[in-house]
Amino acid sequence: MAKEVFMPKLSSTMEVGTLLQWLKEEGDSVEIGEPLFEIMTDKINIEVESYEEGFLLKKYYQVDEEIPVNTVIAYVGEENEEVPEEAPEGQDQDDSGTANKESAEENDPVKVEEEEVTTTTANEKVRATPASRRVARENNLSLKSIEGSGPKGRVQEADALAFLDLKDKNLVTPLAEKIAADKGINLDQVQGSGSRGKITKEDVLGHVSSESTADEKPERIKLKGLRKAVADKMLESAQSIPHVTLTSDVDMTKAIEVRKSLLPVVEEQTGYRLSYTEIIMKATAHVLGNHPTVNASLVDNEIVMNKSVNLGLAVAVENGLIVPSVPNVQAKGLADLTVLSKTLGMKARDNKLTPAEMTGSTFTISNLGMYAIDGFTPIINPPETAILGVGRIIEKPVVVDDSVVVRPMMVVSLSFDHRVIDGAPAAAFLTELKERLENPYGLLV
Amino acid sequence: MREITYLEAVREAMSQEMRENDDVFILGEDIGVYGGAFGVTRGMIEEFGPERVRNTPISESGIAGAAVGSALTGMRPILELQFSDFITIAMDQLVNQAAKIRYMYGGKGKVPMVLRTPSGSGTGAAAQHSQSLEAWVAHVPGLKVVQPSTAYDVKGLLKAAMDDDNPVVFYEHKLLYKTKSDVPEEPYSIPLGKADIKREGTDVTIVATAIMVHRALEAAEVLEKDGISVEVIDPRTLVPLDEETIVKSVSKTGRVVVVHEAVKRGGYGGEIASMIAESEAFDYLDAPIKRLGGASSPIPYNPELEKSHVPQVEDIVKAVKETLNKA
Repeated sequence: MAKEVFMPKLSSTMEVGTLLQWLKEEGDSVEIGEPLFEIMTDKINIEVESYEEGFLLKKYYQVDEEIPVNTVIAYVGEENEEVPEEAPEGQDQDDSGTANKESAEENDPVKVEEEEVTTTTANEKVRATPASRRVARENNLSLKSIEGSGPKGRVQEADALAFLDLKDKNLVTPLAEKIAADKGINLDQVQGSGSRGKITKEDVLGHVSSESTADEKPERIKLKGLRKAVADKMLESAQSIPHVTLTSDVDMTKAIEVRKSLLPVVEEQTGYRLSYTEIIMKATAHVLGNHPTVNASLVDNEIVMNKSVNLGLAVAVENGLIVPSVPNVQAKGLADLTVLSKTLGMKARDNKLTPAEMTGSTFTISNLGMYAIDGFTPIINPPETAILGVGRIIEKPVVVDDSVVVRPMMVVSLSFDHRVIDGAPAAAFLTELKERLENPYGLLV
Repeated sequence: MREITYLEAVREAMSQEMRENDDVFILGEDIGVYGGAFGVTRGMIEEFGPERVRNTPISESGIAGAAVGSALTGMRPILELQFSDFITIAMDQLVNQAAKIRYMYGGKGKVPMVLRTPSGSGTGAAAQHSQSLEAWVAHVPGLKVVQPSTAYDVKGLLKAAMDDDNPVVFYEHKLLYKTKSDVPEEPYSIPLGKADIKREGTDVTIVATAIMVHRALEAAEVLEKDGISVEVIDPRTLVPLDEETIVKSVSKTGRVVVVHEAVKRGGYGGEIASMIAESEAFDYLDAPIKRLGGASSPIPYNPELEKSHVPQVEDIVKAVKETLNKA
C-alpha cells in the first residue's frame, strides 16, 4: 500500500516549508534514506529523505510552493499503484493544524474564487436578522462593519439600509470634494480611508498620484520564508520584551595590538584570519562568566541560568538574518573561535546550517563594524536575555590623562530584557566588557 | 346590510343549507327543544323536525360515530359537541375513522360531515369546558380545521364546510357568539384555506385566530397611537392554511407575532412560525418570530386567573413592541 510522504516539521516553530526542488520524478524508484526533495524551513534548507522503499507515485506540489507541515506532498509505493489525484486534505496532526490549514488555503490559488463564501461565513458570526443578512448579501456589504441597533447589538434591516444609504452618499470631506472638483476627479473611483469609508484629502491626492504613476507600480514581494521568519521573530521580540539599551565607547587600541600579534599565528594554525569578532566573542564569553544573569534565558516564565556560554552570531544572508550558534565559547581559544565563526558564517550564507548549529545560543553578538555604523540598538534574540551590538572601530579624539588624543574607538550597545535583569547589573556587565576589551591581555590570564 | 350575531350566523348557515339540501341534518346533545348548550340550534327543530334535528344520548363517541356512518351512506351530518373539550371522547371516531376512511377506501367512501363545537375560555366554565385543542385535530391528516372570528366569516365558512366532502372540525368561540357583524342574507361561501387580512399595516404582522383576531385588532389600535402600523391576518382555517397570505405579509413587514388562545407549548402557532421560518419570508425577517399563547396549565375557574391564562390586548401590545425592539 502506498505510503504518504509528509512535509516534515523540523522545529517547534516551523509551520510551513517551501519546496525548493524535487530530487526524484514520478515513477523513479526510491530507497530508504535516499533524498526525495529539498525544502526550506523557516531558516534552513534541508534534503528530506525517504522513509519508504518503492516508487515515487505522485508529487502534489511544485517548486516554490509553501506547504504546511504534516501535509501529504507525495506518495511512495509499489509501481503503478493508484493514489489520489489531488493532495489529500486534513492531514494536520498536531496543534498547529489550524494555522497550517489556514496557510494552506491562503496559498492555494484555487481557493481565491471562494472569497465570497468567506465573506458570508464571516457575516454569519455577526448577530443579525435574516432581513439584514439579505440586504448585506444583495449589496455585498460586510455585516461586521454595520452597527446593530437591535437587542444585544443585533444588526437589523434598517441598520443595513442606513449603512447602505451612507455608503451610497459617497461620504467625502468638503476639502476632498473641492480638490476633486478642481482636478476633475470622479469621486466614485476614489477609495475612502476615513470613518465609514469617508474620502479625505489624502485619498484624493493619493488617487491623483496613483493615476500619474500607474505605470510605475511598486513591486510587491510576499513576506515568506526566511524573511517572514525573521519578521515574526523580531516582531515577537520587540513586542513582548521590554528592551533597554546601554551603550559604551570602547578604546580598542590594545585589542588592535592583540589582533595584530595573533593574526599570523592564528592564520598559520587555522588558515583563517583572526578578526575582531573573535576577540569580542572571547571577551564577551569571559565577562558573561562573571555575569550569569546576562547569559540567562527566559522560558515559560522561568529564568533559565545557562551553564555554558553559547554565542549566537548574527549573520546577514540574502533575504534575511541567520544566527548560528558557537557553543561553549568560554572554553575555546581564539583559533577555535576563528575556525568556528568563519565556517558557520560560510555555511549560513550557503544555507547549509543544520538545525543543531542554529539553536541553543544563550547570548547573541550582532556586529555591524564592517559598515559605517557607530552604534545601534539591537533586538534581543528570544529567549535570550541580552544582545550585544558592535559598531565600527573609528579613530576619535578622546581625553586621556588630561590630553586630547586620537584613539580607535568602538561603540558597543547592550540591549537587555528588563524582565530578567535590571539596569545596574546590565551596566556592570557592559562596563566589565569595556574594561576587558580595553585590556585584552587579561583574557590570557 | 343587516347585522347579526356570530351565533345567528351559524344557525342561519345551517338552516339555509338544510332548506337547500335534504341530506343535511344535525345531531347532538340537547340540540332540539333546548336549542343546544349555547342556543345555536334554538328554533330549528320547529322548522326541520326531530328527524333532521336529532337529540342524541350523552355519548360524544356515539354522536361522532353516527355522523361518520351516516356520512358514509351519503348523508351530510352536522354534529354539535357542547364543548370542544369533549372532542377527546369522540377522538377515535374522528381521528381513526372519519379522517382515514376516504384514503383507506381509495376515495370510494367519503365522510362529508361537519363537527361544530364551541371552544375557548372566558365564560368561567373552568378547566374541562374552556380549552382550545385545535392543534390536536390539525395534526391529523384527513381533517380540515376551521376557526372563524366574525359572524360574516362564520356563515361563509360553515357553508364551505358543509359543502366539503371531507370531515371538517368547525371551532366556534364561546365569547364570539354574541359579537355582531354585517352578514348577507343570502347564502355565500368562503373557501377553506383562504386567510383574511383583517387590517393592513406595514411594521409588523400579527397572525391571530378566533377571539385573538379581535384582541389583535384592538392592540393594533393602541399601537397605531404609538406610530406602529400593524397588519392583522386571520387564517380562518388552520387546515388548509393559507401560507401564501401569511408569507406575503411577513415578507412585507419583516416582523411577526403569532397569537392564539391555545396553550403555547405545542400549539398551532408553532406550526405557523415554522412555516414562516421555512418560507421565503425568512430572508425578510427582521426580528425573531414571536408566539403568544395560553399558559401551560389547566384553565383556572377564577375569572381573574382565567383572564391571565390567555393572551390579552395588553400582552399583544407588549409582544409587538418587543418584536420592534421598542418595549
